[in-house]
Amino acid sequence: MKIADCGSTWVKILDVGSGTLDIIPTKELVRRSDLFFEMATGHSGRRRCREYKNELIALAEGGLSMVDTGDFSLVDVGGRDIKFVRFKDRKVEKLDWNLACGSTTGATVELLVGYYGLTFGDLAPAKDWITITCGVFGMERVLEAISTGTPPDRAISMFLHGLVRNVYYFAGRPERIYLSGGFCESTCFLGTLEEYCNVTPLGRTVPLEGLKKDL
Amino acid sequence: MNRTTAESVIGYFGFPRRSTLHEVRERFGFDTPLVDLDVDRGAPDSGVLPATTCRIITNIIDNAVDLGNRLDAVVAAVGEDKCDRGRHAALILKRKGFNVIESRFPCDEYEDRPLVYSRCSMPLTEKINRIMETVVDPSPADAGPGPCKPTHGFWGVPPHDFRILDSFPPKTHVYGWTRCVVAGRPGDLSLECYVDEGVPTVFFTQSFCAKQDLAHYLAEHYGGLAVDCHREVNDSILAKVEAFIRLS
Repeated sequence: MKIADCGSTWVKILDVGSGTLDIIPTKELVRRSDLFFEMATGHSGRRRCREYKNELIALAEGGLSMVDTGDFSLVDVGGRDIKFVRFKDRKVEKLDWNLACGSTTGATVELLVGYYGLTFGDLAPAKDWITITCGVFGMERVLEAISTGTPPDRAISMFLHGLVRNVYYFAGRPERIYLSGGFCESTCFLGTLEEYCNVTPLGRTVPLEGLKKDL
Repeated sequence: MNRTTAESVIGYFGFPRRSTLHEVRERFGFDTPLVDLDVDRGAPDSGVLPATTCRIITNIIDNAVDLGNRLDAVVAAVGEDKCDRGRHAALILKRKGFNVIESRFPCDEYEDRPLVYSRCSMPLTEKINRIMETVVDPSPADAGPGPCKPTHGFWGVPPHDFRILDSFPPKTHVYGWTRCVVAGRPGDLSLECYVDEGVPTVFFTQSFCAKQDLAHYLAEHYGGLAVDCHREVNDSILAKVEAFIRLS
């Protein structure tokens, strides 16, 4: 049985029986009509499954299954949006989900890294930042910085720092963030966020853990 | 302005003074239908305003341009009871040749009407439609529904796309400017900012609306959810509201 978190840029597929996790680009999902799941969440999963689960609910329930403490702040930084849930006594106290204005910041970082032929490993935390209202405005600022002499890797790290600030303030400036999503694998992102608060990376499978709860 | 031969109408937007609306209706005939220009009527894009304009203001302009000479008059709320962009929309329509009658709802004409439809148990869409009908006809319902204890709250103006309202349970109380309407106090900022503590509330605005400042502040203050939407709602916005309602 396969379940999936079908994000806007990456699809995380878990074979529940074997425990095998496959991560494929969403552009591959779009090309393939044979991929159908027992249960799914995420922007691209609604028409690909027998049962669909709201992604913020999947994230919240996944977080509860992976974190033992009573009070904590969970943030998922995706390609298209940022989701946030704060728990008190393991009950949802506040949640939010940035959409439209302020969105696509994660996907923009990936686009910029790919365009300049870099990898996330090439990026080092930057002390200063680019203020990014949204992906489009942020990209304009990166292109401007590069055109005026800033090396691409540094300009993108500054963009990443701007994204980190958005995440930190969006989550209400907590002492610790439990982080979900692909940026758990970026040392630049984690190092920059650790300048603001403690970070516990939970990896890319938190929403899948939320789906497993209903199987 | 377009030339049409269909029947004449009186347009209005916001919550005009009752006396101003009455005078205009007296002048053009009480049989002349009233059209709320704030509401999406499927008018084509007039291209008059930039894309980054609050959708409600765009509706006003697009509807007026689409109705053209069918509009005998536009009764325009341009005071604190509406917004700067409402005032700008009135000016633009006037310069385009429409017969615009401006209205500023003064504090000394504020009413104290019972909050019947903002606190009853009823589908939220129906509730908001009934509230907005009181702009034209403030006579009380014969047997208004009684109040219920709120499970959730909706704060804001009537949205451009009413589908967002379908996610709310019937015992959702209405706050914000829409509550000001049912109370007959459209510019009462204190009432607009009132919500019941402890009621999980969605603070809704159209994107690019100045009320986003209030929505953001109040959502932080009361632990609610700020939601803004430009043009039509999408799956993500509906999912965000659904999750808030389910989890809070």
